[in-house]
Amino acid sequence: MTNFQVPVWGYWMMGLGFAAFIGLLIAYIRKNRGFRRPIFASPYMLWLVIFTVIPCFLVAYFSFTDPQGNFTLDNFKSFWDSNFNARKAMSPEDLALYESMGLSLDDLGLGRDSINIDTLVFSLWMAFLCTVICLLLGYPAAHIMADREFKLGPTLVILFVVPMWMNFLLRTIALMSLLEDNGLINNVLEWIGVGRQKLLNNIAAVQAGMVYNFLPFMVFPIYNVLNKMDYKLSEAAMDLGCDKWHVFYKVTLPLSVPGVVSGITMVFMPAVTTFYISRLLGGGKVQLFGDLIEAKFLSTSLNEWNVGSALSLLMMILILLSLGLLNKVDPEGEGGGMI
Amino acid sequence: MEEQRLISLENISKHYDGVTVLDNINLYIRKKEFVTLLGPSGCGKTTTLRIIGGFETADSGRVMFDSKDISGIPPYKRRVNTVFQKYALFPHLNVQDNIAFGLKLKKMPKDEIARKVDYMLDLVNLKGYHKRSVESLSGGQQQRIAIARALVNEPEVLLLDEPLGALDLKLRKEMQLELKAMQQRLGITFLYVTHDQEEALTMSDTIVVMQGGRILQIGTPKSIYDEPQNAFVANFIGESNIFPGVMVRDELVHFCGVDFPCVDSGFGEDKPVDVVIRPEDILLVGEDVGQVTGVIKSVLFKGVHYEMMIDAGHSIWKVHSTTMQPEGSRVGLAVVPFNIHIMHPMEDEKPTEEKAQ
Repeated sequence: MTNFQVPVWGYWMMGLGFAAFIGLLIAYIRKNRGFRRPIFASPYMLWLVIFTVIPCFLVAYFSFTDPQGNFTLDNFKSFWDSNFNARKAMSPEDLALYESMGLSLDDLGLGRDSINIDTLVFSLWMAFLCTVICLLLGYPAAHIMADREFKLGPTLVILFVVPMWMNFLLRTIALMSLLEDNGLINNVLEWIGVGRQKLLNNIAAVQAGMVYNFLPFMVFPIYNVLNKMDYKLSEAAMDLGCDKWHVFYKVTLPLSVPGVVSGITMVFMPAVTTFYISRLLGGGKVQLFGDLIEAKFLSTSLNEWNVGSALSLLMMILILLSLGLLNKVDPEGEGGGMI
Repeated sequence: MEEQRLISLENISKHYDGVTVLDNINLYIRKKEFVTLLGPSGCGKTTTLRIIGGFETADSGRVMFDSKDISGIPPYKRRVNTVFQKYALFPHLNVQDNIAFGLKLKKMPKDEIARKVDYMLDLVNLKGYHKRSVESLSGGQQQRIAIARALVNEPEVLLLDEPLGALDLKLRKEMQLELKAMQQRLGITFLYVTHDQEEALTMSDTIVVMQGGRILQIGTPKSIYDEPQNAFVANFIGESNIFPGVMVRDELVHFCGVDFPCVDSGFGEDKPVDVVIRPEDILLVGEDVGQVTGVIKSVLFKGVHYEMMIDAGHSIWKVHSTTMQPEGSRVGLAVVPFNIHIMHPMEDEKPTEEKAQ
C-alpha cells in the first residue's frame, strides 16, 4: 500500500537502541543491587523510546532525505515552493518538449506555489484568533470560578471539566450537528424569526470548534493561579486605597500573569497544529497546516512522506521555541497542572 | 471626654450561618490610645477588627468614626490601615513599591513618595532595602515592611491583626517594644488583636478581654490583672488559683473551709462568690502560723521561680516562690487581705463599660 520502507540501518538503529536500553537497565539493577523505585519507570521509558524518541529521529531522518534515502534539503525547499519536487522530477527532455509546445511551467501547474507558507500563516492567524478569544472568554470565567464569594464556583469547575472527559472528536461532531442546516441552532433561529443561516463549512465554524475544544486549556491554568492567590492580598490592596477595579488591575492581574502565559501556550500550541476539526467543521474548504501535513502522509505519491516530515519538523521547532518562551516567563511552571 | 472618642462600636452583632460571632459589642477607642483586643481564638476579636477595617459588615449596630457612621463605607475610603496577620505583602512588587502602594494610588508627587518611603524604611530600621524582593526577606523584616506600608499612609488608626504571631519569642519581644515606641512617637491610635496575654499586658493602654463574641472586661493592664471581673479573665490573664467561696459579710470571705479577711465589700451577706489568688501572692510560712496547711505535692523549676502544687485537703493551691520547699513537706499558707480578690460567679457576668485611667 505504502511506498515507505524502513531503511536497513533503521532496523539496526532500533535494535541498537533497544539493546542499549536493556544494557542500561541491567547495569542500573546491578549498581543498586536490586530493584529500586526508578525501575518502575522502565516500562514507560521503553514506551517513550519506541513511540516518541525513535519516531522523532525518523521524522528528522525523512526530512533530510529523498525517497531513495540520499541526503537532501529539497524537502525544506518544498516548504517555500510546494511544486519544487514535482518540477525537479521532470526530465530535461520533457521540459524542452513542453517549451517547444509553448507551455510555461505555470501553464502546467508547476510554477512557484506558496501554498505551504500560506497555510502556515493562515494556521498561525487562526491559532492567534483562537488564543485571543479563549483568553477573553476564559479569564473572566476563571476569575468568577476562583471568587471566594461566588458559591457556584466549584460547580462551574466541574461543568468545565466534564466535557473534557469526552473524546474531542465526539465533541466536534456534536458541535457539527448543532451547527447543521437542520441542526438545533438553525431550528431555534428559524423559530425566533431570524431564518436559517449557513453556519457550517466556513472559517467561523472551524474557529468555533477550536475555541470550544481549547477553552478549558486557557481556563484551568488561570483558575489555578487565581485560586491559589491569597485573598488577603486583595484585602490589603483595598485597605491601602484600591477600589475593586484597581485591586484587579494592580494586584490580581499582575499576579495571574504566569497562568495567562501557561494558558496562552497551552491553547496556541495545539491550535497551530489543529487538524480534523477544520475538516469536520470546514467541509474541506478550510485547510490548516495540520491538515496539510496529514494529507502529505496519506498521499501515495512519491516524496510526500519526506516533505510531510520536513513540515512537521518546522512545526516542532516552532513549538519548542514557544515552550522556551514559556519557561522564561514562568520558570516554576506555576500555571500548569490540574489537567 | 466624649470628644476624644475616635471610634465607637455601638451594639455590634454578627452571625455566620446561625452562629453568633459577635454579641452586642459596645466599645470606644480614644485618640492616641493603644487598645488591645485579647481573647482565645474564635472569641470574635479578629471579626471586630475586620468590621472596623471595612472587610466585613455587622448584622446590626453602628461603627462611628469621628462621630460619623461609617458602617456602609468601603475599606478604601476609611482612614484606617491594617497590618495583616501574615503580612500580605505584594509578591510582585519590591520593598519600595510595596510601601509606596498607597501613596501612588493617591497620585502623590514622585519626590514626596520617595521621601516618605525613605522615612518609613528608616523608622522600621530597614534602610537601603528599597529594591529587595519581599520574598527574600525574613519574617521579622517582612513584618516591618507590612507596618511601614500601613503607616506611610498616615492613618488615624492602625489595625494590627496578630502581627507578631509568626515570629519567634525573642524577636516578638523586641518587636513589642519597638511597636509601642513607634506608637508613642507617631501618636497614632493602635488597635491590636492578640491571644497572647503577656503581649497585651506589655503594650496596651487599654485591654479588652473578649470571649464567645462578648466583651468580658475593659481596663488598664494593671486593673485587668489585679481585679479580674470573673474566673475566665482571671484564668486567661496570668495564672490563678480560683476557689468557690461564700462572702460572709463585707471584708470577710469563707473558702477552703477557712474565713479569710479581705478588702472587698458590697457583695452582700452569705452570697456565693469566686475567689482569685495569684500564685505569687501566696506566702509559704510555718505550719503553725499558716491560714491553711498542706503538703507539697510537686515542685517545678520555672526559671525565675519555683512552681509548687500544694494539697490542702479539699483544695489544690498553686504557689510561685523563689525559695523551694522539698516535696512531701508540710507547709503553712498565708495570704494578705489585699491580695484576695473577690469576683461574682461566672453565671451573672456583666461586661462593664468602666474605663480605668
